[in-house]
Amino acid sequence: MTSIGIIANPASGKDIRRLVSYATTIDNNEKVNICKRIVLAAQGMGVDEVVFMPDTFMIGCAVLDSLESDRVLKVKLDLLDFEIEATLADTIRAAEMMEERGVGALVVLGGDGTSRAAAKGISSTPLMSISTGTNNVYPAMMEGTVAGMAAAAAALMGDAARECCVRDKKISVYVNGVLRDIALIDAVVSDDFYAGAKAIWDPERIRRIAVTRCHPATIGFSAVAGAYEIVEDTDDFGLAITLGSSGRGVLAPIAAGVLTPVRVQSAERIPLGGDYAFTAEDRCMIALDGEREVRVQPGDEVRLRIDRDGPWRILPRKMLSRAAELGMYNVE
Amino acid sequence: MAISNEQMKDMYVKMRRIRDFESTAAKLFAEGKIPGFVHLYLGEEAIAPAVCECLRDDDFITSTHRGHGHIIAKGGDLNLMMAELFGRETGYCKGKGGSMHIADRDKGILGANGIVGAGHCIACGAGLSAKIRGTDQVCVCFFGDGSTNQGTFHESLNMASIWKLPIVFVCENNHYGISMSQDRHQAIKDVADRGAAYNIPGIAVDGNDPMAVYEAAEEAVARARAGKGPTLLECKTYRQHGHFEGDPAIYKPKEEQAAWLEKDPMPRFANFLVENGVMTREEVDAVDAQVAKEIEDAIAFADAQPLPDVETAVLDVYSDIVEEVRER
Repeated sequence: MTSIGIIANPASGKDIRRLVSYATTIDNNEKVNICKRIVLAAQGMGVDEVVFMPDTFMIGCAVLDSLESDRVLKVKLDLLDFEIEATLADTIRAAEMMEERGVGALVVLGGDGTSRAAAKGISSTPLMSISTGTNNVYPAMMEGTVAGMAAAAAALMGDAARECCVRDKKISVYVNGVLRDIALIDAVVSDDFYAGAKAIWDPERIRRIAVTRCHPATIGFSAVAGAYEIVEDTDDFGLAITLGSSGRGVLAPIAAGVLTPVRVQSAERIPLGGDYAFTAEDRCMIALDGEREVRVQPGDEVRLRIDRDGPWRILPRKMLSRAAELGMYNVE
Repeated sequence: MAISNEQMKDMYVKMRRIRDFESTAAKLFAEGKIPGFVHLYLGEEAIAPAVCECLRDDDFITSTHRGHGHIIAKGGDLNLMMAELFGRETGYCKGKGGSMHIADRDKGILGANGIVGAGHCIACGAGLSAKIRGTDQVCVCFFGDGSTNQGTFHESLNMASIWKLPIVFVCENNHYGISMSQDRHQAIKDVADRGAAYNIPGIAVDGNDPMAVYEAAEEAVARARAGKGPTLLECKTYRQHGHFEGDPAIYKPKEEQAAWLEKDPMPRFANFLVENGVMTREEVDAVDAQVAKEIEDAIAFADAQPLPDVETAVLDVYSDIVEEVRER
């Protein structure tokens, strides 16, 4: 049996960046619509089963009801059985369960934060992230049909699918030698000392940015590093910059519709397996992929290590090209 | 702008006042000392104090049937509130309004309201007034998730949007409209989603975390004050008691209640303040003791006040201006 998993975060795309910038709004009914397209595309490609994460909006149930009502559902739809907490823990748990269950690919709908949570739950399952969040770097803006086709192709190819994936880099955050969390794109040190509304948006409060990859064509604080020096996902290094009142000025899209000048005081490349380390002078928060997560006290030793041990991210165009070479679109 | 330690302490004091006022009201109602109905804000204390911390004295709020928390957060007088609950002559409404009609024009409190969804329209009036008069006053409209199915909610969001009124619509989503859970009364989970239909930014935050509420409210109020129009701010929370005192709330699953009690904003915020050096545990205890004394004083004040004369029952029903119009 060939299966794929779908994790759709009902909480993505509603944070404070809709107030402080001009961020996109995708409501949960549209997430249901995207999921329908994923399911129908996967079904069309020959997948036997689609497994959903349970969530507060009951996205999986809504997809099932709608497609059954339209009499177009042929694939088996299943919902993971666990009690939801309505937090990121649900995404982590669902990803773990889906990998244990042996899904051939995992499709994630959300922002950078949702992809980060999913990455914490898997080690080898190919990941296809679709953006329904805010300032997204990791997930792509993509039509659900294409995402469903690519995920299905990956699942049908098995281990060979890795040829059409990239193994992503990852930042491991250590505080006083203890691993506290991970990030897929960026770890940003801000002056805040509480999580509050979680998102970060005020450049005045940002002190340091470490990235696995960065480009001015992305949105968020990694774009500040990207405006200074571009780091591709294939480069075997990351970048760390410190911000301040002096140094080279760069203009960066730190939020949707918000281009802000920022001064980069210093920058250093971080090779794979290497660290960017500092001692916290004041209390601060480290935002991981855009959300304040790790609280740091004065005197804490912080180490940000970059490795290429993140998720296997599906490259949809490459995957669908390979599918064509393998004759997956041929019909009688 | 970063929140100061003084602001955080002020938020805690107001949260504690609300918690103690409401706990006391529950006890007094059970003892038969408070007539009429009371709908308590227990469990939702993180929201109004955090929102009102972003307001000036001359800003407005509109409230609901569950209004004690809003009024305390905007600076309402505990003695006058308690006297009103006791139905005494010196209460906010001369003892004739009770829990659901407390107002204080001098503090910009445009009134609690027994009609679900009525505050939205009043907020539009306040916002339009500020706009016409050319002030930079803001009106915060507090309401629950149940009222977002009322026509007044939709009409008001539409009007506020097209006229760019300086209003922050604060939905205190406690997940129940009386006894009906949100998933049975609307096909969305996030009320914030409804903002998009009216071209209003809609955002959702943890309503049991005053820091999260404050950050969002600060931006929303600043936006309104700058003439950029309304915001729909949804604060996810939970009322710890029934819809009204006397409602046993058997429709709420025990597991659900237990899970939300784990997120009770009172110990959570007190611990946050202590862990981050904003207050010492001794200072927190001192605030708790001070507030307990304030509530005791409010009860003593209310208890000592006279009941209104029966002859006053029909007074204050219409405003003077209406009488003048009638005479013409």
